[in-house]
Amino acid sequence: MAVYILEFPVLLLSVGIPLVAALLSLVIGERARPKLHAALNGTSLLLSALLILYAAFSAGLYGIAKDPMYWNIPGIGTFAFVLDPVVFPVAISIAAVTGMVAFYSEPYMDHRYKELEEEGVKAPGWGTYYFLYTLFALSMIGSVLTTNTIEFYIFLELTLIPSFLLIAFYGYGDRVRIAILYLIWTHVGALLFLVGALAVGSKVGFDFLNPVTCKPLLGLGEKALSGSMLWAVLVVMTIGLLVKMAVFGVHIWLPYAHAEAPTPISALLSPNLIGIGGLMLFRIVTTLFPSSFASFSVYLYGWAFLTMIYGGLMALVQTDFKRLLAYSSISQMGYILLGLASATDFGVSGAILHYLVHAFGKAVLFMVAGVLIATLHGLRQIPKMGGLAQKMPYTAALALLGFMHITGIPPTAGLWSEYLIVRGAIDRCLSEGSTFFIVTGVLLLIAIGLSTAYAFLTMKRAFYGSLPDHLRGSHEAQEGLLVPIAVLAALGILSFFLASVFIDPLISYLHALHG
Amino acid sequence: MKELYIASWLSPYVGAALVLLLHKVGNSRIKGGVAVLSILTSALISTAAAMEVYGGEHSVHVSYTWVKSLDVTIGVYFDALSSLMALVVSWLSFLIATYSLEYMGEDPGQTRYWFFFSFFVGSMMMLVLADNLIAMFIGWEGTGLASYSLIGHWYTDEEERWVGDPGRKALGMPMWFEPSHAGLRALVFTRLGDVGFIVGIAALHCLTGTTNLHVLLEKAGEWSYSLYATGILHVFLALFVMGALAKSAQIPFHEWLVTAMTGPTSVSALIHAATMVKAGVYFLLRMTPIFIAAQHALHHIEPLAAHVYTDFFYALALIGGLTAFVMGTMALVSRELKLILAFSTASQLGYMFLGTAAGALIGEALLGVFSGFSHLMSHAMFKASLFLAAGAVIHAVHSRFVDDMGGLARHMKTTFIAMTLAALSLVGLPPFMGFWSKDAVILVAMESKAFIPFVLGIITAGLTAAYSIRMIIRVFLYEPSKKSGHAHEPGLLMLMPYVILAAASLVLGVLWPLVEEGYLEFLGKATLGVEEAEVHVGVEPSLAVGTLTLVGFGIITVYYIYEFKKLKPYRLAEREPLFRAIHNFLYDRWYINSVYYIVIVGGFRKLSSTLYRAWDRSVVDYLYHNAIPAFFSKLSSGAKAWDRSVVDYLYHNAIPAFFSKLSSGIKATLELWIDEGFHVFLVEGVLAASSRIRRVQTGVLNHYILMLWLGFSVLAIIFLLMGV
Repeated sequence: MAVYILEFPVLLLSVGIPLVAALLSLVIGERARPKLHAALNGTSLLLSALLILYAAFSAGLYGIAKDPMYWNIPGIGTFAFVLDPVVFPVAISIAAVTGMVAFYSEPYMDHRYKELEEEGVKAPGWGTYYFLYTLFALSMIGSVLTTNTIEFYIFLELTLIPSFLLIAFYGYGDRVRIAILYLIWTHVGALLFLVGALAVGSKVGFDFLNPVTCKPLLGLGEKALSGSMLWAVLVVMTIGLLVKMAVFGVHIWLPYAHAEAPTPISALLSPNLIGIGGLMLFRIVTTLFPSSFASFSVYLYGWAFLTMIYGGLMALVQTDFKRLLAYSSISQMGYILLGLASATDFGVSGAILHYLVHAFGKAVLFMVAGVLIATLHGLRQIPKMGGLAQKMPYTAALALLGFMHITGIPPTAGLWSEYLIVRGAIDRCLSEGSTFFIVTGVLLLIAIGLSTAYAFLTMKRAFYGSLPDHLRGSHEAQEGLLVPIAVLAALGILSFFLASVFIDPLISYLHALHG
Repeated sequence: MKELYIASWLSPYVGAALVLLLHKVGNSRIKGGVAVLSILTSALISTAAAMEVYGGEHSVHVSYTWVKSLDVTIGVYFDALSSLMALVVSWLSFLIATYSLEYMGEDPGQTRYWFFFSFFVGSMMMLVLADNLIAMFIGWEGTGLASYSLIGHWYTDEEERWVGDPGRKALGMPMWFEPSHAGLRALVFTRLGDVGFIVGIAALHCLTGTTNLHVLLEKAGEWSYSLYATGILHVFLALFVMGALAKSAQIPFHEWLVTAMTGPTSVSALIHAATMVKAGVYFLLRMTPIFIAAQHALHHIEPLAAHVYTDFFYALALIGGLTAFVMGTMALVSRELKLILAFSTASQLGYMFLGTAAGALIGEALLGVFSGFSHLMSHAMFKASLFLAAGAVIHAVHSRFVDDMGGLARHMKTTFIAMTLAALSLVGLPPFMGFWSKDAVILVAMESKAFIPFVLGIITAGLTAAYSIRMIIRVFLYEPSKKSGHAHEPGLLMLMPYVILAAASLVLGVLWPLVEEGYLEFLGKATLGVEEAEVHVGVEPSLAVGTLTLVGFGIITVYYIYEFKKLKPYRLAEREPLFRAIHNFLYDRWYINSVYYIVIVGGFRKLSSTLYRAWDRSVVDYLYHNAIPAFFSKLSSGAKAWDRSVVDYLYHNAIPAFFSKLSSGIKATLELWIDEGFHVFLVEGVLAASSRIRRVQTGVLNHYILMLWLGFSVLAIIFLLMGV
């Protein structure tokens, strides 16, 4: 776990460059054509992706890359930017997805503006859209590069405001109400987390990574607190992040927010934002409370299965394409939680890798839903679809690739993450005994079976069979919509072949961390 | 140079990629040509590698690290078993691809077809040649994806592409299936098994740190013992082979294979008869030596643990025997040509499981591998031939139902001969190859003393004969239907592959007694984990006579009913309630499909919709978005009331009122008083005082002196009194 100090603040720039683009967009406003906004913001985010790649490779993939600049804040700790093998898959997928969706946004929002105009709504213009969009994207990137709970919290809150406004301005249905609902839910989650963070931080400081070695400060929370206070803080922080992840029981905000957000934003919310809860559950909570977490992880293990199966069951009955994808995201968060709750290095690696897989796969699927909305006059009802593969073969192929990601079918990287998560769960079983093993086996059968069922049932209902009369005139969408989706799908396939780039450093990092 | 052997699976993948790149090219022959060439390359390279293995190398192993921390390598591992399997797969793929050039010539979905065809071959070869379970699993999943896509190739679901009788229901469940539905079924069924497979792989990986087959063999005792010690060896084994059971359509996973017949017939021949459905058998063949090694090792440590393996092998033999029998009975009554072949395929796969597992029961890996693989090989040839010929027949009469055939022998003589030869191999008549391989399976089953599976195997031999001959009679002899008249032979590209395969079934069968020993020796010498052993193979006369008697009985009965008496058994089934019940039971696939739909599909549908309505929307959603907000709104309106009536009133009414009362009170009392005091009394007092004082000032000096004196006196008295 060698630390590599970057020659220039690469990671800060990966957040800063999009910020400049966002501000420029705001300033330029309606004076520039939408395509220019898209190019400006999309390029800035892709640059951010390149910078993250650069940082990871500078540290030799196995090492920890650290910005030369950091800030010591008295009483709070060190605000630094760090990229290690755990964060790398997450950061790169956020930057890549947000970058491609920025390009996709332009034709999609063009359609959305027209729709809103027909409704008689004058929505804020392109400058505002891209300003908020990129602000949202960069704060997600920033949030995962942090080393301090307060630093993380600031970025986390920063994600909230632009995403709230994006839903409120450009969303579907009862958008203002849903935006508020979203704001309250995720804010409550963040606050719960903050309460815990303050309880720990007030005693031992807020850094969760050592500012010099960049290693996780294992057991810091356990040193600071004890007894029932420790458990209360652990539970509060965990639940705060689980609300963000929308696991079973605290999931109900997600189907509303993710289904009614403007589709490009759904493609960011669903895979990227909620997954950050999972990442930080590992990065902060298991760092602060390693042994307490391990001993209560068995409950999370059960909760994970509950979420996987429940999300799958709910997805099975949805008729609204975007709502189905939203419930699918809940189920997918269950997979991530299972990997984390297995409390094994392989399981955690699987969870982290699954973040990337789900980022690509679910973004592809939401973008496909957007393609249908944009080209078929707002069509979202699956029962009204059918046979679309005849008219939209590329869209159908992309949807298939998206579903392959989330069901773990090669050649998508989903195969690796699914295997690693199962591997982690089984590892756990072998130490827990036979009943645990049998129950896990049965639950995995149900959960993965359900995922496969709803995924490919949706393929069948939307794209196969005979074409209904009202869709006779449908045609393939414009390239501006399809190319960004294809790029993301291709990245998911590339990650399958180059899996060792992610998996090997992750596992060696975790092995080193846990001895 | 050895590295080149990787092309055995890489070449079809490259072919698939090229097909995609050529998508925009209008001429569809180019895509097909590229695919066929890439598969031919694979076949030639596999042949070269197999010859090297046969030539004394024992194995050819190329391996590159893919994911180091998981010990996943990619490469090729040719030993006797995988070489032979690779030969079967690649050459059959080549022949069937050639057939497809003509068969799929007019189809609009050329890119899709050839892409997934080549992708399938690459994945299948990767599966066969993998030296570790994860690489095998990746190939395995790749074949599943290709199978899904090709079953649903005609995804627009026109009725002519369906399987089953439109409108027919069993227990209220529809018994007809569109291609898109069939593809979904295939994927879900096989993926269920794959979950078990992946759990098994993960468990082995946890215990040994690798999934490399060599290491798993070496450490067989170790990992088996730790699983046994945890109390999960039996569950592990059950899960681990689930993938194989599902892939090879063994009971209870057989349903998907039946409906997979919605795919193009070339696909049925390749994927759903000759290769992919054999992947499960191949997996078992690959793992059996490892299982046996584990069993041997356990004998020394913990004899009870070794019993788990015995039970496991017996269970597999029983599943194989049951599948063989049950699917055989369904084939007896089917009216669709491809369905007869599909039932038969599942039934024959059952034989392969039976043979392999029975060999393991005896404790001789070689026997199991020998009987299982021999039948795999012979079945691959004759069944591919049967399917390809069936494709030509269906194409010729434009119907999938045998009722629309009959009397085709006159119009399609070559096809008739080829199909009959292949069918006789399926029946298991000597000297066809099917005879030797089926006999080997039944012999091993007998020697293993697994009585029920053995008996099921024997009975199935009779069933097989009956349905095969019925099929030939219904298609080529019998009464010609209206549609038979226009039938004609297909072109050479289609004709040659199935003629070659049918001929091969005969020729190899004739040569079998000559090559059997050498083949057995090769398997024993160069298969991973198999030890050379003195095993008895060959024909056991009494058993062969018994089986053949049953076969003969089956043939004669069918011939008598259909060809000699020209009876129509459907009519009988319509008239007689008992016959009808039996017929419907078999025709509706023992009602297993309906039960699955009612219990599993219906159950989950019900569960999810009920949960959604009664829980997610009514409880969770209501709780968070109605009840809790309502509670708070009640609370806030309560607070508002308190705010209004108490706080607001207090601060803005009561307190001001108090003060105003206070002030008006003060005004009324104190202020008035002060006012009067200052402004009235004081003024008046001063005035009065001044007028009084004025009166004192008399102006008379004496008065003043008197007053001065009085004043002094008073002061003096005061001072005196104070004691100054």
